Amino acid sequence: MTTALQPLLLLLPALLLVAGVFLWPLLRYGWLSLQASSVLTGLVPVPNGGANWQRLLADGRFWQDAAQTLRFAGVSLALELLLGLALALLLHRPLPRRGLLRAAVLLPWALPTTVMALGWRWILNDPHGPLNRLIQGLGGNAYGFLSTPATTWLFTVLADVWKTTPFVALLLLAGLQAIPAELEEALVLEGAGPLQRLWRLTLPLLAPYLLLAALFRLAQALGVFDLIQVLTGGGPASSTESLGLYAYLNGMRFLDFGYSATVMLGMFVLVLLLTAAVLLLQHGWQGRRR
Amino acid sequence: MVLAAALALLLWAAVGLARPRPVEVSVLMPAPFADATAPLVAAFNRTHRDVQIAVTRGPLDTEALSDLAISSLLLGDTPYDLLLMDVTWTPKYAAAGWLEPLEPLLGDDAMEGMAVGAQLGNAFGGHLWRLPLLADMGLLYWRTDLMDAPPRSLQELAATAADLKARGEVSWGYVWQGRQYEGLSCVFLEVLRAFGGEWLQAGDRAALDSPAAIAAARWLGDLVRQGITPAAVANVSESESLQIFAAGEAAFMRNWPYAWRELQKPGSLVAGKVGVSSLGEGTQGSWGFSLLRGSPHPAEAAAVMQWFTGEAVGRELAERYGYTPVWNSLLQDAQLEARLPLLPVLRQALEHTALRPLTPVYAQLSDTLQRQLSALLTGGEDATEAMAQAQRQSSLILRSAGEAP
Repeated sequence: MTTALQPLLLLLPALLLVAGVFLWPLLRYGWLSLQASSVLTGLVPVPNGGANWQRLLADGRFWQDAAQTLRFAGVSLALELLLGLALALLLHRPLPRRGLLRAAVLLPWALPTTVMALGWRWILNDPHGPLNRLIQGLGGNAYGFLSTPATTWLFTVLADVWKTTPFVALLLLAGLQAIPAELEEALVLEGAGPLQRLWRLTLPLLAPYLLLAALFRLAQALGVFDLIQVLTGGGPASSTESLGLYAYLNGMRFLDFGYSATVMLGMFVLVLLLTAAVLLLQHGWQGRRR
Repeated sequence: MVLAAALALLLWAAVGLARPRPVEVSVLMPAPFADATAPLVAAFNRTHRDVQIAVTRGPLDTEALSDLAISSLLLGDTPYDLLLMDVTWTPKYAAAGWLEPLEPLLGDDAMEGMAVGAQLGNAFGGHLWRLPLLADMGLLYWRTDLMDAPPRSLQELAATAADLKARGEVSWGYVWQGRQYEGLSCVFLEVLRAFGGEWLQAGDRAALDSPAAIAAARWLGDLVRQGITPAAVANVSESESLQIFAAGEAAFMRNWPYAWRELQKPGSLVAGKVGVSSLGEGTQGSWGFSLLRGSPHPAEAAAVMQWFTGEAVGRELAERYGYTPVWNSLLQDAQLEARLPLLPVLRQALEHTALRPLTPVYAQLSDTLQRQLSALLTGGEDATEAMAQAQRQSSLILRSAGEAP
């Protein structure tokens, strides 16, 4: 008794869930972004004719934060993919005590971000942190890791790479294990070197996993909040402030929910555009290989 | 047997129903305050049958507590009757309609007998919204082994600090809070007041591009440029500055009264070598109780608030934890002074405190100022330019808030 309706009925629970969890908040944010709803209106939403969006376009801080967020996400994503791949290739090899090694590699990923960020804040402390102690022990001068606007963002990237590379490695390791060993053996018999095997066999078959890891990490890195909040609070001189932090400030600190929703939606549009770009790139890449 | 048990149960239920259930007043406060008041609350609950206090231990960090409170308030039915609030939250919470005015419950003279400095910041827009549990203000900590008396002006402070550093007595002259956060605004306000400037003038106009404000910003920037203050101050909050001073590495420190006890603890290298004096006008940073709108039993909650902020609890908290009392009677109490050597300094400091602007948009104003000051301290910006920027942004914020431009 298969009817045309049956597949739809089976999909309904999932569709309802998606609508409730994603669509409804998105629509509500869209509505809120067209209202003045702040402490000044007594938190009562009053339509303000798109004033929030005009403000967003002219808000230098939004665009500065957008650029900083993109820089953070782009650099950490590239590093995490590279290091994650290297780590996955290493862990894929038959090593003594491989299980233990794999578990050890995963440890940073298992730590709560807040705890990890507090740890890095101490490690990077100037002048008492272990890193500066080491530099001073080697005869150098203590460096203001977290108080130099030009370079502090690099250390937020460092902390992020340290924490999330294991996640990327884990995904890629799963991909590596799905590649049949016979293919590799066949290439060895035909006399292909290790680099050739990596380029011709491993990377193409790993591509879906690389893409998955990249998309996951990109969305997460663009929404970065807790790491920055704890490690630098957005400073020094707002040089590490992310869009997530700016939206939080507008909402929870300034009680300006209309503008906070607008910042969030602005961020959403950016994430959407970037994700589309990554998918297009992947499409082009696969098309060329075929 | 079964019958007897059933009868007993029935009797127990009847007695339980006949006795009115006690009213539970629910209070949210940061964990350290909850811990400090726990024995007193337990004693209150033992001696009061009709009212019981239930304290929720909130996060330690000021802003994290605010986030928790705001989240629950936004959802409508807040589970709390009383909230222990930082002084800067009052206008924001009142404007959001989350607070109940207190004078209908407590009368117009609820603050009579409190130190002048402790009374500030509790009323806004013609209503009383908050009663202070304890006072707090910025203080200058100095080393008695390096000088005989504290400096009498900022110029003297900078000169002494530079001299002690040049002679190699200390690694740093003066440490304070320079991280991009609320502490930096507190530090700046004190310097601004010392130069005779104001953050907001009458009519709520920003005055950050005044000569005094520029001089104040330049003075802070110069401390870093001249090496009197470490460049690392740009990521230093209260705990880090305390650490540097406790390690004997600095001649002066700006901090709150709590630092005094910390500096006497084992592990501090400067125990017994610390002097404290008022900073001219120290930034006021008190904590106080507010009654949240929608509380099902406001009268009982107000009574609990009065008990918390009363002299008896104030004395206990001062004796046990060194919390600065708000009542004149306690500030002048000789018995208490024997237990709390800092009391005369606190009493004097409370006569002239600097209040951060009382406006619902204070968080925005402070955030903008912190950005500019942080840029100044990390070497990018000139004081005149930084303050011109801060003035422009502040005027925009105030204008959108409907205040005078």
